[in-house]
Amino acid sequence: MNQNTAIRTLLAFYTALFLAFLYGPFVVMAIISFQQGPEGGPQFPIIEWSTFWYQHVLGFAPPSRVAPLPIGEALTRSLTLAFATMVVSTVLGTLTAQAFRTQFKGSGFVFYLVVLGMMVPGVLLGLGMALVSSQFGIDRNWWSTAFVLHVVYTYPFAFLVMLAIFNRFDKSIEEAAWALGVPPGRTFRKITFPMIFPGVLSAMLFAFTLSYDEFPRTLFTGGREVTMPIAIYGTFAVEIHPNLFAFGVLTTLFSFALLTVYGVLMSASVRRARVRATGMQEDVA
Amino acid sequence: MDGAAVETPIASSVPSRDGPGFFQRHGHLLLLAPGVIWMILFLVIPLAMMVYVSFWTQTTFAIKPDLTLKSWTTFFASETYFGALLRTLRIWLTVLFLTFLFGYPTALYIGQFVRNKTVQTILLVACVIPFWTSFLIRVLAWRPMLGKEGAINILLQGLGIIDQPIEVLLFTELSVIIGMVQIYVVFMVGPIAFMLARIDDSLFEAARDLGASPMTIFRKITFPLSLPGVVVGAIFVSVMVLGEFATASALSGRKVNLLGNIIVTQVGSLKWAFAAVIGVVLTVVMASVITVLLRVVNLRREL
Repeated sequence: MNQNTAIRTLLAFYTALFLAFLYGPFVVMAIISFQQGPEGGPQFPIIEWSTFWYQHVLGFAPPSRVAPLPIGEALTRSLTLAFATMVVSTVLGTLTAQAFRTQFKGSGFVFYLVVLGMMVPGVLLGLGMALVSSQFGIDRNWWSTAFVLHVVYTYPFAFLVMLAIFNRFDKSIEEAAWALGVPPGRTFRKITFPMIFPGVLSAMLFAFTLSYDEFPRTLFTGGREVTMPIAIYGTFAVEIHPNLFAFGVLTTLFSFALLTVYGVLMSASVRRARVRATGMQEDVA
Repeated sequence: MDGAAVETPIASSVPSRDGPGFFQRHGHLLLLAPGVIWMILFLVIPLAMMVYVSFWTQTTFAIKPDLTLKSWTTFFASETYFGALLRTLRIWLTVLFLTFLFGYPTALYIGQFVRNKTVQTILLVACVIPFWTSFLIRVLAWRPMLGKEGAINILLQGLGIIDQPIEVLLFTELSVIIGMVQIYVVFMVGPIAFMLARIDDSLFEAARDLGASPMTIFRKITFPLSLPGVVVGAIFVSVMVLGEFATASALSGRKVNLLGNIIVTQVGSLKWAFAAVIGVVLTVVMASVITVLLRVVNLRREL
């Protein structure tokens, strides 16, 4: 037992170090985002603490030699794209997972075909799509060629999440509804959907974040109008400035807000399910 | 469900358990169709196109559908390109090994030593939080960490461990590896921790009652049962590292060129056929890695 405690302490210490390693760049990024501007570069030492780069990101800073990030258009595009991807891939994922609840011939093939979408590196898929569109004369746009690839990428995640949810799902409740003569559409709306809602929410969250941050697939297929990650990637070639880090901090805070909304919705759904279960008898009457 | 179903000659000739209606029997096809069609159009066709184009003739600014092996021979004859393949494989293996080495103890702690579900969740969420920052910005954040006047050198000099700043940290292969390990290690931790948390506690109790040492328990119980997690983690890490190019171009100052980087450059100069060749090479590497890994564990069964 004593030996076990020693191992436990050692591992706890190691895990703390590990987390420090994970968060290190993040902390440094946050510090440097307060670098003096516009002369201060993305490195130590901090010349003077300032919020210049935050103003720069939000468009309040006076014009300088550092070009502003295309927040307005690029961010709107990224969010629109992520939203559309989220909706389509969650619907596709749910449909396919629903089909997998019954055994059918060729299920192995379909499973791997879908999972392939998340396994193929983005750069290959982007290249393939760019080749197809250039040979068939299809215009490349973020809302067309890039969008379909985003769905190819996120739909497998949605599918796997929904598959896991359906695996833990008690089929007899649905069967009871059918036996009582409730039509399939209504059964899905009233019985199935409320039960799988937490899973749907997770699938949506996955799809949204993956698409929002996606860039190898978008790089070759997004056309002239850039999304946010492509705009950031564009700065790789030239000099980088602390405005990127300020932007990183801001988007992280935004993500936290999103995560909080997800958490609230999730717990509300759990609570509602509980209330519904207790109030079921009155409902039936 | 089979309340109205009566034995009919047709139903009995079909090998089904009861006599469900058309929708019950073929409904899954309707459900599957949208997803399968989407994947064939936007996944299978682009990949097939890539293979096809790799045999096309490349002229200065265009490609012509005259089949040739020229791009392929250029790839294997060229020191630069074949070297990039070897470099990609080397960096992939190094990162894979390091993510396992650094990730396993953390997964072991979270999955096995923390038995409180809430604490377990908090620790896993803590690992995932950095992912809420854009991938590209996370990569760039390594620059002020590793530079000559970066955080690590300042810290080490402040502690008096070194006198001179370490210069090999940034714009080398090492910085690419450090960056990749930090970015991808979580994909190793997650699946392993998940598998470890699923192990039945009574198994350990029984082993201890029979006098097994912690080392024996780890070797005979913990590690074998966590292996599916290791494989799933390895698949994640491999897939992502093999297709990488952003980390390499951001942290190596374009000195380290992986296959992904070469694809990006070739596409940039409209060398489509050549980019396609490299794409096919990368696909073959990836497919063999995944096939080998899937031999070890059945992904569908572990879900």
